[in-house]
Amino acid sequence: MSVGAMKDQWYPVGLISGVTEEGRDSLLLGEPIRIFLDGGTPAVTGEGERPLPVELRYGHVWTCPGTPTRPLFDIPEADQLGRRLVDVGVCRVRCSPLRAVENFLDIAHFPFVHTDILGSEPHTEVTRYEVGIREDVDEVWATKVQFFQPQAAKSAEGGITTDYMYRVCAPTCSVLYKTSPPMPGEWDVIALFVQPLTETLCDVWPWMALYDDDASMTDLIHFQQLIFVQDRSVLENQLPALLPLDPGMEIPTRADLTSVAYRRWLKRNGFTYGAQLVAA
Amino acid sequence: MQTDWTPVALSHDIPVASAAPGRIGDTALAIWRSASGRIAAWSDRCPHRGMRLSHGYVRGERLSCIYHGWSYGEDGGCKRIPAHPDLTPPESIRVPVFACREASGVVWVAEGQPAGAPPDLAGFRGLRSLHIAAATGAIAEVFGGDGPVLRVKLGPVAVIALVQAFGDETMLHLMAPESCDLATLDALSDAAEALRRNIEAEATA
Repeated sequence: MSVGAMKDQWYPVGLISGVTEEGRDSLLLGEPIRIFLDGGTPAVTGEGERPLPVELRYGHVWTCPGTPTRPLFDIPEADQLGRRLVDVGVCRVRCSPLRAVENFLDIAHFPFVHTDILGSEPHTEVTRYEVGIREDVDEVWATKVQFFQPQAAKSAEGGITTDYMYRVCAPTCSVLYKTSPPMPGEWDVIALFVQPLTETLCDVWPWMALYDDDASMTDLIHFQQLIFVQDRSVLENQLPALLPLDPGMEIPTRADLTSVAYRRWLKRNGFTYGAQLVAA
Repeated sequence: MQTDWTPVALSHDIPVASAAPGRIGDTALAIWRSASGRIAAWSDRCPHRGMRLSHGYVRGERLSCIYHGWSYGEDGGCKRIPAHPDLTPPESIRVPVFACREASGVVWVAEGQPAGAPPDLAGFRGLRSLHIAAATGAIAEVFGGDGPVLRVKLGPVAVIALVQAFGDETMLHLMAPESCDLATLDALSDAAEALRRNIEAEATA
């Protein structure tokens, strides 16, 4: 196991609204951390009460166990008026944090894992889309992704072809943009912030910035939790548990171009905590 | 009794059009039965993204992965990739298939080319499978013998215990005489659970 370059990246470690005076113990990249209120402000310490850098953004407390090589990524939509910001909460998953992100980037599983919600047979085809690394920001981007969905969001009525864009902005964080059913010209934003506890255990903190004035907060949260619990049944049953970065162990197709780019980007950056490098 | 075959499940635990997990040695198995009743044991791993095929679903004579619906035919070859409905999957996409036979209500699996048929256990039928959190040695001690096929007493009844050893865990597939009535089968089932509790209590003591 090598923490390597991932030590210097940003990770979510809890909801800002959930931090208490007493604090909470957790793990980050296998090392113990503590999240607590210090004079009313969220603070994070590592081993030996070493203070770690803290950012408060997108409803979450962010920290970096090493020295941050770049600022926390920007999600400009978080500041747009008219969006509802949804802290979904946490879902603990016994899987590699990298497998959790890869699953989030995947649309081909919708008809089989999220049956009759995000996809349904016979609408299983994944059409060609575009994937690339945006070198200026060093992020993986997939665009022109389209998929037919029976109920794309809590606010959707009936099936629609949904447009998607995907963005990997940190080794364990991804943001997706999808057609907003009530505002077809705008994108809803759904993010998956993954806290790597160990190489095979993570806390997943979904977060959303939606155009939806009707649904109750509870319903929005339940919808996203339902989707993620369905994903968890897959994520905890993949062999091997670690994400294979070298070709040979798994077989991608054209539908998996985002995952292929994500794996290459991880390897190129030395983001290998939770990954398997040599085909077993 | 020496045999190339390993007992991995009882037939009645794999109904038509279903899949379940099993093991042979260190290899995880997907044991599944097609709509026509054909039994098969495959490596429990979809070659696409490593998802366990034992979580998959059966349609007709094919087993499909629950993750992306890739479906595999009798020979383990991939027949369909739903994300690309017009694509004929290449021959190279293939799930490793193990030799698999059913005899006397037991599913037997072998690695490589097995010599001969699985053991004949005529006069017995499957009772139940039990996972025991104890090394096989502890079970051999209780039964007073070791090997994969043990003829032992459970209470007053002569039963057959098929043993799969996995380090500090054991899988037992118990078989009862065909002549047993329902009440006796219930009593045997209770006795088997009591046996498991005792062995596990001894093992952790």
